[in-house]
Amino acid sequence: MTKKWSLMLVFVLALTLVLSACGDKKESNNSNNSNNSNSNQESGLIKASDLSKNPDQAKNRKDTFIIGMTDPKGIFNPLFMETAYDFYVVYSTFDTLITYKADGSYENSLADKVEVSEDNLTYTYTLKDAKFVDGTPVTSKDYLFTWKAILDPSYDGDIDGLSANIVGAKEYREGTASEISGIKIIDDRKFSVTVSEYTALTPVDLGFVFIMPEGYYGKDYKQGSLESIKALNSEPVGSGQFKVTSYKAGQEIVLEANEDYFRGAPSIKNLIFKTTTDSTNLAMLQSGETDMNNIVVSEDNVEALKAMGFMDINILPNNGYGYVAFNHDHEILSDVKVRQALTYGLNRAEIVEGIYGPYADVINIPQSKVSWAYTEEDINTFDFDTEKAKSLLDEAGWKVGADGIREKDGKKLKLNFSATANNPVVDALLPIMTLNYKELGIDLTAETLEFNAIMDKKTKGDYDMFFAAWGLTPDPDNTIFISDGAQNDFGYSNPEVDKLMAEGKKELDVEKRKAIYKKMYQLINEDAVFIYMYQRTNMEAYNARAQGFDISPYKDFPFSLYQVQLEQ
Amino acid sequence: MSASASPITENTDYRPKAIDSPWKTAWRRFARNRLAVIGTIIIALMFLICFIGPFLSPYGVLDYSLKDKNLSPNTSYWLGTDKLGRDILLRMMLAGRISLLVGLVATIISVIIGCSLGAFAGFYGKKVDTVIMRVADIFMALPSLPILIIMGVVLSDLGVEPNQRIWFLMLIIGVLNWTTIARLVRGQMLTLREQEFMQATEALGLKDRRKIFRHLLPNTIPVIIVTATLGVAGAILSESALSFLGVGVIPPTPSWGNMISAANNLIDFGKRPWLWIPPGMCILITTVAINLIGDGLRDAMDPKTKK
Amino acid sequence: MKQYIIRRLLQMIPTLIGISIIIFTISALVPGDYITARDNPNMTAERAAELRSIYGLDKPEYQRYFIWAGNMLVGNFGTSLQHKLPVTEVIGEYVWNSFIIAFFAMILSWTIAVIAGVFSAKFQYSLLDKLITLAVFICMSLPSFFIGLLLIKWFALDLKLLPVGGMTTAGLKGGTWTYIWDVVEHSILPIVVLTMLSIGGLARYFRTSMLEVIRQDYIRTARAKGLKERTVIFKHAFRNAMIPAITLLGFELPGLFGGAMIMEQIFAWPGIGHVYLNSINMRDYPFMLGFTIFLALLTLLGNLLADVLYGIADPRIRLK
Repeated sequence: MTKKWSLMLVFVLALTLVLSACGDKKESNNSNNSNNSNSNQESGLIKASDLSKNPDQAKNRKDTFIIGMTDPKGIFNPLFMETAYDFYVVYSTFDTLITYKADGSYENSLADKVEVSEDNLTYTYTLKDAKFVDGTPVTSKDYLFTWKAILDPSYDGDIDGLSANIVGAKEYREGTASEISGIKIIDDRKFSVTVSEYTALTPVDLGFVFIMPEGYYGKDYKQGSLESIKALNSEPVGSGQFKVTSYKAGQEIVLEANEDYFRGAPSIKNLIFKTTTDSTNLAMLQSGETDMNNIVVSEDNVEALKAMGFMDINILPNNGYGYVAFNHDHEILSDVKVRQALTYGLNRAEIVEGIYGPYADVINIPQSKVSWAYTEEDINTFDFDTEKAKSLLDEAGWKVGADGIREKDGKKLKLNFSATANNPVVDALLPIMTLNYKELGIDLTAETLEFNAIMDKKTKGDYDMFFAAWGLTPDPDNTIFISDGAQNDFGYSNPEVDKLMAEGKKELDVEKRKAIYKKMYQLINEDAVFIYMYQRTNMEAYNARAQGFDISPYKDFPFSLYQVQLEQ
Repeated sequence: MSASASPITENTDYRPKAIDSPWKTAWRRFARNRLAVIGTIIIALMFLICFIGPFLSPYGVLDYSLKDKNLSPNTSYWLGTDKLGRDILLRMMLAGRISLLVGLVATIISVIIGCSLGAFAGFYGKKVDTVIMRVADIFMALPSLPILIIMGVVLSDLGVEPNQRIWFLMLIIGVLNWTTIARLVRGQMLTLREQEFMQATEALGLKDRRKIFRHLLPNTIPVIIVTATLGVAGAILSESALSFLGVGVIPPTPSWGNMISAANNLIDFGKRPWLWIPPGMCILITTVAINLIGDGLRDAMDPKTKK
Repeated sequence: MKQYIIRRLLQMIPTLIGISIIIFTISALVPGDYITARDNPNMTAERAAELRSIYGLDKPEYQRYFIWAGNMLVGNFGTSLQHKLPVTEVIGEYVWNSFIIAFFAMILSWTIAVIAGVFSAKFQYSLLDKLITLAVFICMSLPSFFIGLLLIKWFALDLKLLPVGGMTTAGLKGGTWTYIWDVVEHSILPIVVLTMLSIGGLARYFRTSMLEVIRQDYIRTARAKGLKERTVIFKHAFRNAMIPAITLLGFELPGLFGGAMIMEQIFAWPGIGHVYLNSINMRDYPFMLGFTIFLALLTLLGNLLADVLYGIADPRIRLK
């Protein structure tokens, strides 16, 4: 029946794919993290209460662990991976020179030793004795090869190779050189990288690179064409914890432990990533069809998982935040008093509490509560205060008119607000915001739009206010708040902030960086750049027969798979 | 003189029996079909409840109350509350306005377009037929989702009020769905065109327009009715899918479809049946009623029905 | 007839061109492109520009159209931006999974609908008719995800008879027969839901058709002749009633390969439907355009098939 077309239009939570892809890109973060326990969020590990309820299907799987997740695109290649789910497979099959610790700082992984020159421009790496799963050893040539692919003129992946400032990179990218002069091979397991200028991110740019074997991927590689590498996207060969033995698109990826793994063979013999969808991932955990999954945090879901009894539940702050953006070029919104009034006048706590319960926090600066750069000193929390908001609007010259709407110089205080369709917060945000702002005398037109439509409006600057959520850049450094920054589609500009952002990027000492960013966040907070809505939590739930995970907001679960033990 | 025999001409008791027009006959037959009448009553009640009901509710359209969230039916909230503490009964009635309108208007649009185009195609044949059918092919092949997304953006750019956008939604659903009816009508036309009664109209020298609209189309009505009644249910259900993507009925405005989809997870399903049973039952009852009416209409208009 | 078919096939060419222009225009008008959809906070403006130039997104629209159309003519559907594989390969990976479900659902729903429709018409106004009508209404009035979740709850969670989702059990060991049986087990619920969705419309349609035919004079003649009721119904009424229904077969063609987006989401079935939906959300134009043209082609062929079948089945129709 032709009606099938319209009837099949979906309730797909495909947006989850996009939102998750935003939230899970972590690549570099520096040093110590102060664990801020000021959050009234419920988080942490909730242990299973009654293991006897474990379904037989799961209990009898003694040597296999099944992880459920949204289906990846089949791009198991560090160069071209894009979705969080492809990342998971890559993290399980490849290795980097340095890797995450639970607190977000780094430790050596494949690198045995890292030496930095006096002028901070040359990094010398010594590799550990490790092998790729095809038996060949990991050598310096492989590192060089990986960079050649990243810097190739036809490279269309996500890694921004040029920002590492390796000497000779630009020439290779433009095709005028056939080698990268800045990377020198000293011997099979020792090499050095020279950069033209350093920033706080340099050690991560150079060290957090997944090493790919030249012998396997580079066989037909010629500068200017990466097709031969792309052809191997779904058949990865790395030096990591597991190796992929089979892949069925849309269904499952089967992996086997890497016996020669340099940290010791993983205790899980067989690992399977099984495709699940949001509607049934809980059900699959319950029936034992899967052992582990990432479940959206809500009071209902947490309760259901607790009731199962055999699941360990790990609730962690998500590295990202939801925000209402202002268009600072808009004539009404360019006034900071108006922006502050709008922030005071919105009952954010009620919205967040209503949707997430104790599982999300209202935030006031664009940084995660568990980041080393987070601060609450001298930060205005803009607690809900309608009177204060009203007086600020009065001060700004907006007086209440005869019809209850404020006006100034003959213009009415009328604003348009767009929100991404089907974010759970939006269901509460729209009615509450409409009501709150009605009280203040603002004529608000609220609408929901498809995600991309809003992103497009954002890029074109064609909006008054909109709501969206995104992931945090791993390092506090970003281009959102600097004037004309790549991600600054808001028209915000504060020369002081520009100065501080540039300083922080160059500074290598963590304590000094902390102080710089503190000042910066205070300014951003005062300027009421956005209305920050919430930082929510992520939940990893796994069958308690598996123990040994080391999961943190910065160290995702695949990184500790090799140490997980299954109850026998 | 015995019993007076009045001449026939003075017998004023005699009244010649009027011959009913076909429409009147149909109407009478319809009225005697119990199920059809029940269907009509149900629809009328539905309209009444949904359009007048909200005025009688103690709650306002924008009212929410987070401390009352997720309550099961009780004395202050007859059908319980949703996750924002909004009264389900009120929302169900408001949603009814939207869903009923969308279903009816969209179907009416597609029936009008489909009948006309299908009739012309079937009747004139040859070039007209070819062009119209190829146009129908194009419409059938168009992906509705991207079109609806664009429409959402264009409307937003034009500054159209969210409440007015529903009319555009109905228009688009109607315009994207006329092809089925057109094909069916055309098919019927092709068959009927060759029948004897059409030869008669040809002999009578009737104008084309008269032939199509007074003779051929009325014979295709049964098929049109079945398709149209199916169409209403289909339109109501498509609306629910579209609301999700932000191109249908936009929250917080409720529609039966977006109320059901809000409860679309195993937990709400099991624990909170009052969230999805009211809108679900509404869709069911409305669909059943419309179909009963459709059945009744078809039976009433078919000259071969003996009842 | 042959002339008719050839003429229709030739007519398909301008139709397809028209469709391709419209679809391409739509994709150009839809806000956002692949870069905006990624929403990568780490992307610099230079990188975004670089990528756009590599993907050819920075060229003016009409140029992009001709490049794309030119490629399509030689069978090059382009490369999916999300999957980094040729569009045809991506389609090939997923479409057969959708086909299995759609095919069996079609057979099942047609069979049941025909039986229901015929009996409903034969015994019009009886209890059986009313019950069947009621059952059909219920199937038609509820959204599919709803029925899907309900069945999962009953059969997979409460009764533990069937698996919750997916096409196979992860880590299953065994030979071909174990595999086939595994797939069958997993496909039962999706097929049932798809069937329930289609039955409604079909059964009503067949019933109406049957009712029309049963009232015809020639049926009266057949009965008057003393033919067995069974012969009257199946040999005469049924065959004539099925004629308009044949048309519907042609329309099933695109549905067989188009995937069922809702079903695949609920049951985690690895079909082409949700890949298509993702491509729209992520603005993966090569895939979106390529697959839409593929479906458009199937729709056109399906329409042609329907018309040809109608012409064959009903001798009164003269296809010119």
